[in-house]
Amino acid sequence: MRDDIHERALQLVDKRQVEGLTAEEHNWLEAHLESCAQCQKGALETERALRALRSAVPRFDVTLVLTTQMRARIRARELIENAARMRALWISCTLSWLLGVVSAPLLWWGFEWVGHRLAISRAVWMTGFALSWVAPAVVAAAVIAWRQARGSSVTEPR
Amino acid sequence: MGLAICWFMSTIEQEAGEVARGLRRRDPSLIDDLIQQYQYRLFRYLLMLTGSREEAEDLFQETWIRVLEKGHQYQQRWKFETWLFTIARHLAIDFMRRRQPQSLDALLQPTGANRPLELADTTSSSAFDQAFQGEEAASVATALRHLPPSYREVLTLRFHEDMELEEIARVVDSPLSTVKSRLYRGLAMLREWLKDLSA
Repeated sequence: MRDDIHERALQLVDKRQVEGLTAEEHNWLEAHLESCAQCQKGALETERALRALRSAVPRFDVTLVLTTQMRARIRARELIENAARMRALWISCTLSWLLGVVSAPLLWWGFEWVGHRLAISRAVWMTGFALSWVAPAVVAAAVIAWRQARGSSVTEPR
Repeated sequence: MGLAICWFMSTIEQEAGEVARGLRRRDPSLIDDLIQQYQYRLFRYLLMLTGSREEAEDLFQETWIRVLEKGHQYQQRWKFETWLFTIARHLAIDFMRRRQPQSLDALLQPTGANRPLELADTTSSSAFDQAFQGEEAASVATALRHLPPSYREVLTLRFHEDMELEEIARVVDSPLSTVKSRLYRGLAMLREWLKDLSA
């Protein structure tokens, strides 16, 4: 028999284990292995190698599981508490924004009145109004962004 | 037969859905169960990847903490073990990179002057000897010590975990052709080493 036939047989032996064979390949291989002791030996060696690999069981320390479970429980509590704090912050931000929207006309009149009384130019009191209206939201957003950046730097995945 | 497969698939999807919901809630009892359920498989994978018992133990713990932190990203259409092993692998690579900074390409190379994933092999000749038990543990340990980590990794995913080739490619973040060639080469090397050792 030619060498390339044995080579093909041994390739198919590996392919059978790695990705499986088509029916045609399977039939060809079985027929060849029945008539070729050398390739049959090769097939047995492959099976033996895989059996040995599968039979190797890692020694496992049970305390590792207990330690991991304890660490996971502590971390879970931290994450849940952190999420609750963030939720509270979001709610207060939303309420503060709503309050800002509702109170905007009053604030506008207030700034306008003070502007007239103190003879301040229109551009100045309008800028004051804009800043006082936007400032709380900007501060809150900065706090949230800072907290999230701090949190994600600890748990950032690759 | 078709009905049985449908039922089986829907059961798997239902379980994955429960895991996804539990991870989003950061349910401690679910995490406890998952740790119990996947303890041997994850540890064996990490052991094969790092070749070091100590590092595998450290990474085992870190993997579960990361699962907890990133649990909201898990989607029920993914197989949990594929996601778990992907997280473990990323952590292992980060760990190796911190110890021996270099590019990701170099870290994933199966051969070459530096094999950072093979830390234990260079520091201790008996890392696998201590880690494995079984009839042919000593021979397997010796053979594995001589295999590049990227070959050991795909061998364990294929022949211990019985993962499909596509799933392995997803875990190791490599093309299917690379996975196949690593499997063929790894299998050939393992066979040769075991043959030599038994001769």
